[in-house]
Amino acid sequence: MASQNDEDLALSRRAAAGDSAAFAMLVENYERPLRAFLSRMGAADIADDIAQEAFLKAWRAAGQYDGSARYSTWLTSIAWRCRLDELRRRPRAIEAQKAEQAEDSSGAEVSDMLARLSDKERASLVLCEGHGWTHQEAAELLGLPLGTLKSTIARAKSRCREMWSGAAYG
Amino acid sequence: MADEFDAFLAAGLAPEEREPDRAFVARVQAGIRLDEQLRAERRGMVGALAVQFLGVVAIAAAIVWLLRAPEIGAFASESPAFLLLILLIAFSFVIMLFSSGASSQSPVRAFSDA
Repeated sequence: MASQNDEDLALSRRAAAGDSAAFAMLVENYERPLRAFLSRMGAADIADDIAQEAFLKAWRAAGQYDGSARYSTWLTSIAWRCRLDELRRRPRAIEAQKAEQAEDSSGAEVSDMLARLSDKERASLVLCEGHGWTHQEAAELLGLPLGTLKSTIARAKSRCREMWSGAAYG
Repeated sequence: MADEFDAFLAAGLAPEEREPDRAFVARVQAGIRLDEQLRAERRGMVGALAVQFLGVVAIAAAIVWLLRAPEIGAFASESPAFLLLILLIAFSFVIMLFSSGASSQSPVRAFSDA
């Protein structure tokens, strides 16, 4: 992981110096998990816009990445703030879409289960169970104490398990 | 059942395996190019504004300095309308000069060029 961080740090430093080809490599490496995470957070149609805005901010702030955290963690924290801004700008559109997803869901698919969870339950579950983040990384991103994050994940998993059992055996 | 559920959840939550999306990368790069262009325009406009401000200050200082000369002071008190006319012509000239400079640096033009 350290070598990946070093490689990303080198690319980020080149980007900070104005090397757009270096930054394009970072975009290539990280667009897939970032867009997957954002689309899992609901409002799939604006996920790409938020991802693009996050990459633009990452380009502007490339000099601030110091390699102490994984690049994906740093980038996702930028995207998370972009998403919160978007929620403040367009709360009704996003909430309506989420409500629609929850209504349409049968409970059998992961996306259906996620649609019935709260924002933080969903984010912590996706990052820690699907993207291999540590609890500490997710707690920092979501601004939660570590213990709260662990209980949030446990609660989210338990609710998903109930939905899954209900769909499979109910 | 627990193992089955954990596997189901992990598989469902993991990002899908695929090649990098080149179209998305190109979109981000285009956005960055546009952003850079607009920032350069903004920097240019701020620089031009500073130069124009300095120009106005220099002209005002020169006028004040001229009016303090006894001969010009006497002329101004004798025929203030004529002096005002000269100042208006000078002001119009400065405005024309600045507006022609500003139109050649229009951000709208840079945007449409992009």
